[in-house]
Amino acid sequence: MIGSPDVVALTREDENGEANADPLALPDEFSVPLYPHANSNPWAKTSYAKFTKDFILISEFSEQVGPQPLLTIPDDPTVCGTFDLNYFSLRIMSVDYQASFVGHPPGSGYPRLSFVEDSRVVLGDSKEGAFAYVHHLTLYDLEARGFVRPFCMAYVSADERKIMMQFEELSQRFSQASECLKTGNRRAFAKELQRKLQDLEYTRLVLRKEEGLQREAAPPGIYSSQVVEKANELANVEKSIYEHRDLLRQISSYPGRPRRDPQDLLEKYATLDHALRPDGPGAAGRAWGRRASYTPQLIKAKSPKCFDKRLKTLSELSESRFHAATLDLLRGTERLFSGDLCYQYSRRLDRALRRKQQATNFLFEEDPGEDVGGDGVTARPACALSHAGDGPWPPRPPPIVLCPLALELDALRPPGPLDPAAGGGPLRPGRSRPESSPSDRTPETSEDTKCSFSSERSAEGPGRQSTSEGTETTGGEDEAENGGDRTPASPQGAPALQTDLEAALGQMDAACCMAQDAFLYEGSLGDAASDAGLDGPPATVVSQEPQASPALQGAYAVGPPQAEPPAVGLGGGAADDGSDRTVSASAGSDRAGSPPCYGGGVTLRQRKRAGQGALRFVRQYPFALQALWCLLSGRTLVVLGSDEARVRRMVSALALFVPGPGPRGERVQAWLSCTPSLADLHRWKLIGLQRLASPLGSSGLHSLTRYSRYLSVLDADQKTLRCPPYRGTLLANMADHRTSLRRGSTYFLHVQSALGGLASKAFLLAFTHHLHLPVGPGEGPEAVEARRRGFLQEQLGLGPQDGQVLLYLSGLVTQHYLGPPPDAAPPAFSFGYTASLLYKI
Amino acid sequence: MSSGYPPQSPAVAKTEVPLDGECPLLAATFAYWDNILGPRVRHIWAPRVDQSLLLSDGEITFLANHTLNGEILRSAECGAVDVKFFVLAEKGVIIVSLIFDGELKGDKNTCALSIILPQTELAFYLPLHAICVERFQHVIRKGRIWMQKGYNIISVLSSEILPIMELLASMKTHRVQEDIDIRDTVLNDDDIGDSCHEDFLHKAISSHLQTCGCSMVVGSNPDKVNKMVRTLCLFLTPSERKCSRLCKADSSFKYETGLFVQGLLKDSTGSFVLPFRQVLYSPYPTTHIDVDINTVKQMPPCQEHTYNQRRYMRSELSALWRAVSEDDIAPDMIIHTDEGFTPDLNIFQDVMHRDTLVKSFIDEVFMLKPSLSLRSTYVTQFLLLIHRKALTLLKYIEDETQKGKKPFRSLRSLKADLDLAVDGDLSIVMALAEKLRAGLHSFVFGVPCYTSAQDRDVHMSF
Repeated sequence: MIGSPDVVALTREDENGEANADPLALPDEFSVPLYPHANSNPWAKTSYAKFTKDFILISEFSEQVGPQPLLTIPDDPTVCGTFDLNYFSLRIMSVDYQASFVGHPPGSGYPRLSFVEDSRVVLGDSKEGAFAYVHHLTLYDLEARGFVRPFCMAYVSADERKIMMQFEELSQRFSQASECLKTGNRRAFAKELQRKLQDLEYTRLVLRKEEGLQREAAPPGIYSSQVVEKANELANVEKSIYEHRDLLRQISSYPGRPRRDPQDLLEKYATLDHALRPDGPGAAGRAWGRRASYTPQLIKAKSPKCFDKRLKTLSELSESRFHAATLDLLRGTERLFSGDLCYQYSRRLDRALRRKQQATNFLFEEDPGEDVGGDGVTARPACALSHAGDGPWPPRPPPIVLCPLALELDALRPPGPLDPAAGGGPLRPGRSRPESSPSDRTPETSEDTKCSFSSERSAEGPGRQSTSEGTETTGGEDEAENGGDRTPASPQGAPALQTDLEAALGQMDAACCMAQDAFLYEGSLGDAASDAGLDGPPATVVSQEPQASPALQGAYAVGPPQAEPPAVGLGGGAADDGSDRTVSASAGSDRAGSPPCYGGGVTLRQRKRAGQGALRFVRQYPFALQALWCLLSGRTLVVLGSDEARVRRMVSALALFVPGPGPRGERVQAWLSCTPSLADLHRWKLIGLQRLASPLGSSGLHSLTRYSRYLSVLDADQKTLRCPPYRGTLLANMADHRTSLRRGSTYFLHVQSALGGLASKAFLLAFTHHLHLPVGPGEGPEAVEARRRGFLQEQLGLGPQDGQVLLYLSGLVTQHYLGPPPDAAPPAFSFGYTASLLYKI
Repeated sequence: MSSGYPPQSPAVAKTEVPLDGECPLLAATFAYWDNILGPRVRHIWAPRVDQSLLLSDGEITFLANHTLNGEILRSAECGAVDVKFFVLAEKGVIIVSLIFDGELKGDKNTCALSIILPQTELAFYLPLHAICVERFQHVIRKGRIWMQKGYNIISVLSSEILPIMELLASMKTHRVQEDIDIRDTVLNDDDIGDSCHEDFLHKAISSHLQTCGCSMVVGSNPDKVNKMVRTLCLFLTPSERKCSRLCKADSSFKYETGLFVQGLLKDSTGSFVLPFRQVLYSPYPTTHIDVDINTVKQMPPCQEHTYNQRRYMRSELSALWRAVSEDDIAPDMIIHTDEGFTPDLNIFQDVMHRDTLVKSFIDEVFMLKPSLSLRSTYVTQFLLLIHRKALTLLKYIEDETQKGKKPFRSLRSLKADLDLAVDGDLSIVMALAEKLRAGLHSFVFGVPCYTSAQDRDVHMSF
């Protein structure tokens, strides 16, 4: 199997891998280190960079002073540390990667503008430990040599692998920023040209008058030297006018030029056009169409010398709104890509995988199409492009002009009398920017369709079918924020997924319908399953494959990284308990009280914080396992206590284990100060209940006792739990109070992994057809039930109580997949005869 | 490309490489910084395909010179090989350059080995970038020694440039697609034993995951081989799939270092000769799967593999260093043994660690109806599960060791806390974690004398 010619000489080496002091020994500079990772520490920095974190550097190759750094993002000197920005700018700007002709081409009378494509380079300085993605671009400046000013934007990192692995994403982000800056520059350049033209025409007018006066003053037929000089000056001005008109024509024809960039970025940016409108709320938008007044200046014959003139700054080279938007885009990019590559990559992978398992995501996951989660530190530039810029988000960038600049083309008319109106308002947005088609407008940007989370919810009568299970369609802040997925940067947006899923779910066959009947009789399957154990409701059958939509098939693609939405509206302290959006329900208003906002309504960061609470709970309470089993088997758990903060914290921690908490956490009520009704116990699977010393409070306790057959009560004050005993093994690893896990975020990952495993098993149970359908015509429901029981016990090795968990979860999967029955009967409680026990610390 | 480039120097030598089919590579160049003349191209390799060459020599020279511009400021450590990557939209090309220092005519010069591709191949090339760079870096190490000795580096570079061209050409036609239809895999069979034996499939997938998703599938029937290749690729990420290759139906490809999964066809004698060096230079240990005789073998775990690989590299470089003449050792065919150490050629061993993760997955996935997307979803759930376990493990170790500042001493607790008591399960999760955090195995299991988690446990118990 092994080719013998490859047997190679191996020199004798000692155990430490150091060669002997042999004169023929290989010098280190020609060898490779025996251990490739520095100090064998995988977390050690890959290089010895002098900066503390990644940053963005904008540099220019100045015609006066050479390469120079202009600004860094973030603008914090501590980030760059002792890193020599001047030297690095010199290195990255030392080559003209856009080498292309500018100036007067041979045989051409007028200077030509060259529309060069941006170049992208990844390079590094291994000695300095700095690696960079460098995006080279050229801006136009009337005062500059050849009218061009070379700039570059560089993402500087100590991790070379990070840059190469995310090259396409970096390239896309920087291309957006570059196009934004260049668009603003072209507009500023055109405006400057027009002003210059007005100046020139005014100068020409003045010169003509002066020439006429001098000619009249001189004897007829004799031309004085002053007259000749004036005539030459006039000729120069006229030539200059022609040149500037030509330049203006060239710059206005920019968008029509053939594109060489295969990415055809401009097409993508067309969809960003809606981002800022002239009639928008921003003052900048209103100022868009305003025609600035300009008084022409007389141009002196001699312009200042090259080194006397002051070159424009970057902000002067581009219209201010575009410049600001570019910097915002870059800030977003910096936030998006900074951090550990390992976790960035994992998040993307996790998200891509979750997108492919829509059938079970609702159980324990946030919707991958919406909340991508994260630590909340990184922002989402895509949002900055297309979504509301409130809160911490940067404002929207100006629209990218795709059609020819709507210049005042009367300036291109043949020379005529000075038209004072020619100088004003060269750029009209109404003409310069195409109307965005309805398809360009994403729903989230329309005020009409923008969903917002309502803190009000109408009362539901006790006999009413609970509609909180997956039927709540009201979006929330996260949904609006995360609509960034629908921007071109992330084409696989949530609406498409939602539509596909709806299409998939809409397909049901006869078997499904037959199974649907079960819900009519059994009502809340979860409750029934939890209380009746394996003798609970007949399991429903799903014979329709999930994710039948072909659009979902290719969803497993690690797309560009998605930044996380910020925890908008969440206070730091309130975020700790994860229930900050819940309004405390008073005795008189609890029916109209706000719903809890757990589950999909919270960010991943909050869930990780909840993980800390959950870890504390597991370590502190030996009966945590029982509590978890109650939640996972569908038995309602009431957390009773007098201290609101403590109860809220507990609910927040335990909410991690509530299956299918709902898009806005409808199944969790963090704090309730009145007696829950029977419908409440159906609607909420986890309830924080206030203990009152008043007679009202005692009646509340009384009602809890009355319903004790259906629910479990965790007393936060007494530190007791009353619930049926759990003797299974399935959940043991999630609630081991001797665990060595130290941090809440790690425990959260562990729980996430374990719950994912449960969801997977539930999926298997729900979609294994022979477990739910009779194999032969003579087979009755008992035989099917026995087969299912055998599957749980023998195939999965689960005892009855563990089986209850899977039955409940698979029931939820089925119900979620089939959708709510159209004419479902009111939910009914089921119960078991297993006595509850009181657990104490 | 526009014309008008300066004509190339008559001194520039050129090698035309005959290739079958489409080669995405336009050219490869070796250039150096001449202290008097500036950047100079020394050699050009260009594929000779059916069509005329896409780039003229002048254009190639212009681009190659470009890669060295700015390197006059280079202040790298001696022996460092820096990588530069250009996407020049204005020229419509991408260039990958490896910059290094080398001795030419007694002077120390900055040199560049570059490959040029059309910009349209950017998406094709990017997943393969790491493979190409890794292989070029090693050949440059050898080339630097050759230059130091005053020998001709071109022959050394040719020994890798030509295979890279072949690799890229083969990937163009036989690369595994990013989206794999489960119907093309073993997992779509009605029953587990339909196309391969139950335990064989379990061992194959388990070992494949234990070796970081790096496997070679050999066999005589190309359909069977490719079915297994696609099956294994189901357990890879999309970008890893793009670094995997199906086998050719009529003749066999050569083994290529760095691919994740590759199908290889046996010859008429029923054998396939593996090049020891190339297998050892793979970034991860490899699983060897023979679909003819249903055997699964695997290389030692990551920490041992890396250690062996590095020792082998050092030995190879030392052997070159000791060569007394250019003809003494051909760079790509080293036949020499040393009294000090003989490499263990039996690098593929039986799969030692059995797991429960893959076992239960295999048992369960066949319960779901085939030809629907049920099994695809179940595969996705399995991948999500093991990826999350890997991330949890990584975070656990990170917490325990304060990001590597302290040694890791709690493997036993980790196994208990994260439900990874079975060695095979731990190997799978560790392998995935290794891909996320390179060097994790060496950090956790220490020097390669600990050959397995079991040994490490024994050690820790004392």
